[in-house]
Amino acid sequence: MNDLKYVGKPSPRIEGKEKLTGATRFVDDLDFGPGLLYAAIVESSYAHALIKNIDTSRAEDVPGVVKIVTGKDFPYRFGLYMHDRYVFAQDRVRFIGEQVGAVIARDPVTAKKAAALVEVEYEELEPLLSVYDAIGEKPKGIIHPDLKNYFHVPWFFPRADTNIAHLRKIRQGDMEKGFEEADFIFEDEFIVPRYAHCAIEPHGAVGFLDHSGRLTVWTASQSPYTQRHLFTQALEPLGFSHKDIRVISPAVGGGFGGKAGVSMEILAAALATVVKGSPVKVLWSREQEFYNTYQRQGVHAKLKVGVKNDGTLTALEEILYWDAGAYVEYGANVVNAAGLSATGPYRIPNLKIDSVCIYTNLPPGGPYRGFGYSEFIFGLESHFNEIAKKLNIDPVEFRRKNAIREGDTLAYGGKMNPNGLLEAIDKVAEAIKWDKEIKSDDPNIVMGKGISLMWKAPAMPPNAASSAFLKFNEDGSVNILVSAKEIGQGFLTVMAQIAAEVLSVPPDRIRVEEPDTDRNPYEWQTVASHITWGCGNAVKRAAEDAREQIFDLMERALGKKRDALYLEDAMVKSHDETDFKLPLKDFVIDGIMMEDGTWRGGPIIGRGMFMPEFSSALSDPETGQGGKPNVHYTVGAAAIRIEIDKQTGRIKVPKVALAVDAGKAINPAMVKGQVIGGIIQGLGTILYEDMRFDEKGKLLNPNFTDYKIPTSMDIPDEIIPIIVEVPQPDGPYGARGIGEHTMIPVAPMVANAIEDALGIRIKSMPITAEKVALSLST
Amino acid sequence: MPPAAKNLFEKRFLDLQKLLFKEIKMYEITFTLNGEKRIVGVQSNETLLDVLRYKLGITSPKSGCERGDCGTCTVKLNSQIVKSCLILAVEVNGQEVLTIEGLMKEGFTPLQEAFLEHNSFQCGYCTPGMVITAEALLETNPNPTDEEIKEGLSGNLCRCTGYIPIIEAIKDHVKKRGAEQ
Amino acid sequence: MAIVQEFKYFKPKSIKEAVSLLSQHKNSAVLAGGTDLVCNLKDEIVSPKAVVDIKGISSLNGITFKGKRLKIGALVTFSDLIKSEIIKGHFPLIGEMARAVASVAIRNRATVVGNICSAVPCMDSAPVLSVYDAEINLIGPEGERRIPISQWFKGNRKTSIKKLEMVTSITIILPAQTHAGCFVKLGRYAGEDLAQANLAVLVFSNHQYRLAFGSVAAVPIRAKRIEKALNGNPLEKKLIKTAQELIPQEISPITDIRASKEYRMHMCKIMFERAVKAAAERLEGAGPGYGTALI
Repeated sequence: MNDLKYVGKPSPRIEGKEKLTGATRFVDDLDFGPGLLYAAIVESSYAHALIKNIDTSRAEDVPGVVKIVTGKDFPYRFGLYMHDRYVFAQDRVRFIGEQVGAVIARDPVTAKKAAALVEVEYEELEPLLSVYDAIGEKPKGIIHPDLKNYFHVPWFFPRADTNIAHLRKIRQGDMEKGFEEADFIFEDEFIVPRYAHCAIEPHGAVGFLDHSGRLTVWTASQSPYTQRHLFTQALEPLGFSHKDIRVISPAVGGGFGGKAGVSMEILAAALATVVKGSPVKVLWSREQEFYNTYQRQGVHAKLKVGVKNDGTLTALEEILYWDAGAYVEYGANVVNAAGLSATGPYRIPNLKIDSVCIYTNLPPGGPYRGFGYSEFIFGLESHFNEIAKKLNIDPVEFRRKNAIREGDTLAYGGKMNPNGLLEAIDKVAEAIKWDKEIKSDDPNIVMGKGISLMWKAPAMPPNAASSAFLKFNEDGSVNILVSAKEIGQGFLTVMAQIAAEVLSVPPDRIRVEEPDTDRNPYEWQTVASHITWGCGNAVKRAAEDAREQIFDLMERALGKKRDALYLEDAMVKSHDETDFKLPLKDFVIDGIMMEDGTWRGGPIIGRGMFMPEFSSALSDPETGQGGKPNVHYTVGAAAIRIEIDKQTGRIKVPKVALAVDAGKAINPAMVKGQVIGGIIQGLGTILYEDMRFDEKGKLLNPNFTDYKIPTSMDIPDEIIPIIVEVPQPDGPYGARGIGEHTMIPVAPMVANAIEDALGIRIKSMPITAEKVALSLST
Repeated sequence: MPPAAKNLFEKRFLDLQKLLFKEIKMYEITFTLNGEKRIVGVQSNETLLDVLRYKLGITSPKSGCERGDCGTCTVKLNSQIVKSCLILAVEVNGQEVLTIEGLMKEGFTPLQEAFLEHNSFQCGYCTPGMVITAEALLETNPNPTDEEIKEGLSGNLCRCTGYIPIIEAIKDHVKKRGAEQ
Repeated sequence: MAIVQEFKYFKPKSIKEAVSLLSQHKNSAVLAGGTDLVCNLKDEIVSPKAVVDIKGISSLNGITFKGKRLKIGALVTFSDLIKSEIIKGHFPLIGEMARAVASVAIRNRATVVGNICSAVPCMDSAPVLSVYDAEINLIGPEGERRIPISQWFKGNRKTSIKKLEMVTSITIILPAQTHAGCFVKLGRYAGEDLAQANLAVLVFSNHQYRLAFGSVAAVPIRAKRIEKALNGNPLEKKLIKTAQELIPQEISPITDIRASKEYRMHMCKIMFERAVKAAAERLEGAGPGYGTALI
């Protein structure tokens, strides 16, 4: 691996110039001509209500209105892992802001005006706004009375006639014995609220059904193929098959999971079907972005941990109550993924975990960077830190002692992959000089340090696949077609580097093309931090396929000895013949001319596909054992120093270090970019972002004015990104994903540092300046 | 104004026309956009952002929040950066507007080179506004301190980069520019 | 984003023309920077039939300082205040406040007059203008008049302005006694925020004090009780404590999604202490430079 030429280098982004010059076109930048129609949504003003009547007559009279639709026009259920969701609400609404109908008009002002004139009559039901409203003997209502009839993937276990959409159980070892062996048992509860992705580009989609019956949908999406699949499923009653629907995803202005699956994009697809021949745009406002797209689910965590005197963990009992929102077609898998990994990267022999997915009358929960791990690790790492302190064990030592190792048994029975967790712990502790005592001269300022570990495995169906086509051009440059999505993570460049390494064509001579389901081959979704691994493998295979064709041709046409051939500097060379140097551009389209004037070869087109064949979601529903639902884990650690102003409660971060085991950092600059971005996003959740609902379930701060995401003034003084590389055996060049992971340890690490500084343990997020100041002054 | 009716039939037709046609007041504005004189008819309730994006095909300023919080709509109006989502298009009559395209009359700028080198962008959505803001910052304050850079950028939200690579690019650019002079 | 309301747009060239337009179109809004008005139009909080853009009236521009009298025209933006040599030299407290408002691109448009006309409780300019005993100059169909700031704010988004009037400028007489000041604003973080509490203090070399709080009541509060307790005394620990204990009598913060009333009350005490100390240090030519964040 030492003689890699392109992999492992901080190559500049291949799409950099486009983005820096404003040339990149996002969905709302595309021009659809003067025939473009605009949709405005009629939204529910109740969190839980029956729809008695919808009167669209006044709206229909507004000149410029083309069509008005409501739930009765689209009585279809759909969803990713569970079919519990509707294009428009049917007989009832389940959260404030839910789409009840839409007005399609010739211009946005008319659409907006007319939408305000649609009159909906509701019969209010009691809203269930907390998990405790929804579970137990007497829940305040049943949000999905039809739950037992919903299709779902075989690894979900809904409880009919309750608000429990899924329950992931883990039972391993012997809990009684585990607690008996413990010298201490520590119990506690932690609360993590909902969070918003706040990608700077709002959701948007344009649908166009032409008169031949072809439906094209342009979506700002991380998942064009999955979108096509869900659109086809949802609109199947209208006679669509997969080939009739085309999904194109132009540039996406940030996803963070919020643009995965299908949320508002179904509206563009559905509305297009009622205005045949005209494209219709559905563009979300920033407010809608907050209350009617996926949110990161809230969770109430109860932990009971057995530990020996010397700090060895003996048993973990964990209950996670997830506030999953009105529809859980995607969010239920967050609950599932968390349940399977709720031990964190630790070796714990006896486990009892219940991860419960609970319907509430709040916006639908769904995928958000970390996919349940950020949510549960807050409680876990806070609790472990408390335990360490109570046992008088240094928090870093506690982590080292209990850290999971290669080959250890995972919560679901599988085995832990090779990983550099101990190295990560050592490096972050070193980076912030953990053992050094640092105090401030200012009597108002108190300093603290905190550590947290992290891990995550891609949460995917066992057959999530990636594929790639690779084609050469006349001048030897390359186009790679994939359906993974550049959402800012830099994967286009990484794919180019992988192909470059195999084919010896430099990355700046390679283009990687944005998804179009007609032209680019299948990719499950750009989520789960799995693209570098999955799509990277597919691209590598496509490049190798192309290389094999090249070598075939050398053998056939020129009689070269295959074993001696290699590629270098975009030329075919031979170890046997030092002056054989055939430039790729000479034959990758044209082929090779023989002496008699006939040609051999032709355009070189590589094809690669990667689907893990060792992953299985089948497990015992009562114990969670037996499957192999997770392909591998990426691990890491982070450590932070903070300064707290005791009077104001304000926290500053002089230094934070985060180490992530990337297996092989194909582009170290991209990895560092994810570390910095992930840390800042994590700091946002622990220090500033504070979603507020009123007692009726209305989101009170659906804007940046009152939902504060970090600005350039709120950054740490110093961030130290550390790349650990313990190769992933089945990853391209040893790589595994890291995109989500860099956010995961941040919240608990800060909570631990606050406890270190002030001796106060705050068990709910966010830990705002107000919370700190008031807990100090009382 | 429709001409006066010549007979009863015409009068009835013109009356019907009055029912069907609503007068919309259009304001013709003349302004300089990226160095070029532009004349365009706008309604009073159209924002500068909307007119740039949907009437004039300049899609680099974006609509991220429509409240002046996110900075993706940032353009230069005369010599200062402004949030174009909070400006009515009529207000720029007789003024000069500059978007990122106008910055690049001579190609990729040295600051943009620095952004490329330092990976000061990821998804690219906040980038046009960020570049305009950074260029304007350096115009008014050619040698900013770290604090001044942070303050200068504070009206532009970025969810991807964590800002540090942007600040480093600006600092590096200032250093290189200083060395050249 | 589409603005649904339709309105006529006018750009008068003189104050006379502007006043005439306001009278003609009874339901009209004055447009200067627009950072408030355009937002309100989008949210459908206001529905004027006409918008009168005063940016073409050159006499409304400018910061002048003649005979100890500072005049800030209706078109003066927060950026103008930050750059002004007059403000830097004679009214650094105003510059400190201006720097705390929003961010650069907003400051380039938003005007101080617009700020006080909006009269939203979280205004940043009000406490500063209050401690300077500023006067607001208006003109209407009945002629000119002047209102002291103490009588300007009537409630949440309510001022003493009469229906067809517009503000032309704000004037402040530079206090004769040597003084220094401090403005502190409470936000949820270091980045741009609307104040959850703010205050302005002036400390005079003859042990006189002026103090005003903002965003902790429907209108800004000039803390006369506290001033009375402080006046005549040199600043020291006990005096500060006495003043802090009077704060709950002066202000009535509420709990909303931005902050609880307990935190606002707590922070006003902290902010007051740090601000008055900083002002006293600045009076001696020491202390943190104007614009340094104190909380």
